[in-house]
Amino acid sequence: METLFQSSVDEVDRLVGLGEEEKVLLQDADAAAAELLVSEFEKYVERKYNPEIAGVLRRHNLMGVPIATKYGGRGARQLAEALFLERMGQTGMGVITLADVHMCLGSLAVQDWGSEEQKDRYLPAAAKGDVLFAYGLTEPEAGSDPGSLKTSYAREGAGFRLTGSKYLISNGSIATNMIVFARPQGDSKGVTAFLVDTKREGFSVDMRLEEKIGLFTSDTSLVSLDGAFVPKEDVLGEEGKGLSVAYSALLNGRIGIASGCLGVMEDCLNQVRERTTSRVQHGKEIARHQLIQKHVAFIESSLEACRWLVYRAALKKDEFGGSPRDVSLRSEADRLSAVAKYMSSRCAFESADRAVQCFGGFGYSIMSPVAKHFLDSRVARIYEGTDEIMELKIASSVLGKQFEAYR
Amino acid sequence: MQLHLDGSTVINAPQSKVYALLTDPNFIAKTLPDAEDVHVLDAQSLEARMKLRVAVVSSALKVKMSISKTAPGSKATLVAEGTGSGSAMKITSVFDLAGGSSTTMGWSADAEITGVMAGLGSSLLKGFATKKVAEIFEGITKAIEEAA
Repeated sequence: METLFQSSVDEVDRLVGLGEEEKVLLQDADAAAAELLVSEFEKYVERKYNPEIAGVLRRHNLMGVPIATKYGGRGARQLAEALFLERMGQTGMGVITLADVHMCLGSLAVQDWGSEEQKDRYLPAAAKGDVLFAYGLTEPEAGSDPGSLKTSYAREGAGFRLTGSKYLISNGSIATNMIVFARPQGDSKGVTAFLVDTKREGFSVDMRLEEKIGLFTSDTSLVSLDGAFVPKEDVLGEEGKGLSVAYSALLNGRIGIASGCLGVMEDCLNQVRERTTSRVQHGKEIARHQLIQKHVAFIESSLEACRWLVYRAALKKDEFGGSPRDVSLRSEADRLSAVAKYMSSRCAFESADRAVQCFGGFGYSIMSPVAKHFLDSRVARIYEGTDEIMELKIASSVLGKQFEAYR
Repeated sequence: MQLHLDGSTVINAPQSKVYALLTDPNFIAKTLPDAEDVHVLDAQSLEARMKLRVAVVSSALKVKMSISKTAPGSKATLVAEGTGSGSAMKITSVFDLAGGSSTTMGWSADAEITGVMAGLGSSLLKGFATKKVAEIFEGITKAIEEAA
């Protein structure tokens, strides 16, 4: 099958060493990416959510990539998951956002923190795509400081009642289940994670946010919980330890976003190469102009540099997965995921900007594929940890905990 | 920008009938999707104004098509050249027929696209073209089977 991707699966195999199942995973990713390309672009131009994403991923058995095989997933290690998302990233950050939230923030949080009963109940359905996860941490008044969240819970009978709002929630209006973080009513400490069934009474989608800079094909919503009941069986992790669940999910998610950004850079490079070697101005292909070559060199160097950061973070996360009690490994994986996300999201956005420049006037039209990346990749510098929060994390990892600027 | 597409389709009609219809400009004129002002010029050619839609944006191209019987009875070539809405295209399609009571039609299309449309890039254009070609062949197959 012809792929969109520049590096063939065999080339990736030679670089990182892939198992047979991992090669099949990447081939499936290429097939899904090719299938999604047209609908993604059409919906982006229409500024609409793309309802085909989950269906295509389901058809190619790509909804449970990191879920263990005993729960019906593909059991991909973090590196294989990163390579999968890198290939899907060529279709744009809309696809990546749905996949990252469902798999990295949702399914992996259940796999890492859930009870056996919860894993049996949620993961096989999540792997099939019958369960679609959203991640409800951000609130209108709590973004980079999740410790200040206001959504609260109160005990009632065999469970809890949750009240509050969650804002800018990817998959918010399409998810079947949302991991919601809330604190005990009247208590400023002890955030707990809950697996909330979005069909429960008291859960509502207040707004689908369509007035965004980009990422139109991804669902972004404001949801409300008005005394929504959650049975005690759906507390994820220990009560009061929800922020640990939140931060570990974000570690996975950041590698996912960074991986998608690699795909964005790859597509920018492919588009720029094609455009600049066929567009003739001043009697020659514009690729022969040195200032265009400067942009090409930037995108290529960014892609290669960021690949190393993302693969390294993924390998460290795999190492941590083998020794989950090793605090120093966890902290190293956390640092490397922040570095990978910080650099890849910035480089993806700048690569898209330079690609727009290479496309000239046509690049300024939203009808150009590079304009889509320019608009869609901007959010990668904000969600799952802003540039500034990543910088603070990275700096404190070098300077020491006593220098944590956000404390 | 250059694009290549190929494929095959099975038509439930005898090869001779398929060939006769495929090389008849009057028949082609009836099967073209999103075409307006279709005029058959002579026994080998026709022209039409065709609408091409990408998401919410549609362009109109004035297209001239010429059919040649490369190997009478089994092979034909259709060249479509058009301009409009800041774009120009030339598509050379080759049809290769084989079979008896039903016909397998192998086809290939090589397109050269310039102007605004080329800015979409080959991967996207190929995606849209694949969708459009499937629609065209569905129409042709249905029309031939109805006529046979």
